Amino acid sequence: MNFSLIGANILKLLQQYWQVFLLQGVVNTLKLTSIAVLFGVVLGTLVAICKMCRFKLVRFFITIYIEVIRGTPILLQLYIFYFVLPQLLPLLKMSPFMWVALALCINSSAYVSEVIRAGIQAVDIGQTEAARSLGMNSRQTMTRIVLPQAVRNILPALGNEFIMMLKETSLASTFFLGDLMTSYLLVGGATYLRFEALIIVGAIYLLLTYPLSQVVNAFERKMAKDGAD
Amino acid sequence: MMKMKKIAALALCLALCTLMLAGCGGSAGQSGGSASQSGEDVLIVATSPDFAPTTFVDTSKEGQDQYVGFDIAVAQYIADQMGKTLVIQPMSFDACTTAVSMGTVDMALAGFAWREDRAENFNLSNEYSPSDDPNLDRQVIITLKDKEGQFTTPADFAGVKVGVQTASLQESLCREQLPDCELVIIGDLGTGLLQLKNGDFACMASAYPTAEVFMNNDPDIALAGFDFEVDDTGTVVVMQKGADELTAKVNEILAKAAEEGLMGGWYAEAVELAKSATASEVTFDDSGNAAS
Repeated sequence: MNFSLIGANILKLLQQYWQVFLLQGVVNTLKLTSIAVLFGVVLGTLVAICKMCRFKLVRFFITIYIEVIRGTPILLQLYIFYFVLPQLLPLLKMSPFMWVALALCINSSAYVSEVIRAGIQAVDIGQTEAARSLGMNSRQTMTRIVLPQAVRNILPALGNEFIMMLKETSLASTFFLGDLMTSYLLVGGATYLRFEALIIVGAIYLLLTYPLSQVVNAFERKMAKDGAD
Repeated sequence: MMKMKKIAALALCLALCTLMLAGCGGSAGQSGGSASQSGEDVLIVATSPDFAPTTFVDTSKEGQDQYVGFDIAVAQYIADQMGKTLVIQPMSFDACTTAVSMGTVDMALAGFAWREDRAENFNLSNEYSPSDDPNLDRQVIITLKDKEGQFTTPADFAGVKVGVQTASLQESLCREQLPDCELVIIGDLGTGLLQLKNGDFACMASAYPTAEVFMNNDPDIALAGFDFEVDDTGTVVVMQKGADELTAKVNEILAKAAEEGLMGGWYAEAVELAKSATASEVTFDDSGNAAS
């Protein structure tokens, strides 16, 4: 293929469509990601608590929830949330954007809950035993001994979840919800300069994820150092 | 103690859900893409706006106004004639038919051609076509410039890789009329164009208007020299199976538009818009400003 025009075409696209990529694409991608991860963390925490609770029935249902969500493709979940749920729940008036955001939240919650559960269970059982033998009750043990140490495992993994989610929001472009991948579809579809639009969108995704992963890495190092002290 | 904890957790759960849903409801108005089935006065139409000049987005506009193209003009006319407000709900091409069968939307217009399997599962309107320009009805094969005109008969395609969009009219045409070619199924023509230039396949099947846009934008692309035999032309409105009343109404409206000679004007307008959206039209003039 002819690569000689690509540079010039990219410049043209940027000049004419920068607002579509930056103001619309980046903003919506970040919006979707933030909503998904924020509510995903809140919901995921609850799911993790239920997953570790002592009632077998609760654990059973939560396990089904987690397995169903982690075991089906996210695109399928988007279809269900976009087409099926609005018909099952006609009273719930939400925009397509919010349905997809909700689907991403639910999806994120399943992953986050596993991150949190793993983070808590990775704290050595000896810590709990020591706290209990010192006379702390189970609540004190959890909040004062286990959770502070678990956070060190959990936070970097949550950072990674944010980066994963940032890329997965691209699936929202199936419904043209204005994320970066939608920008590619719109600009590529109107101009037929698909490759050039792809390059631009790819570069923007990298510009977003690279600093984020650097932050996560730095954080991981700091946590490891603090833990060693 | 444990019981209290459980109740507290449950209450928290409920509170969270309400909060979340409330939050969702609150911002629903802002995002503006909302479309609900309930309103009697709106006509919800699914389209896949990545297909100039049939249906695409004018990125200089916002909200519902941004959807432009020939099919959008047709949809607008249908809505006007029914006395309803048009609401476009954008989604990918495959999702459009899903939306119709689910009843999420009233109809879909996205350059759908009449096809037997489509007619089995949906109510299709009569075909509408932009004008009597024969080029518009052509289904062609495009290839790279250096192979221009080298494929003229079905025999020339023996063993040749031909890219076709999945579930498209071109796919069934290829299967019928080019039985010896090797089909490569692609998701969309834009990606297909990249693959064609990349050498993944030698030829790609396309409707002529789309091929024309490709050729205008890219000097490497040319016609292979083969035209499919097509008897039925034009595109259709896709509606839910059994929506006979709606189908009859739409047919009536389409006939009226054709009678009044509106289609050609809409198409010309859409082509003009598509040209101005095309970045190759952007020129870097002396002042350094892009003229769009």
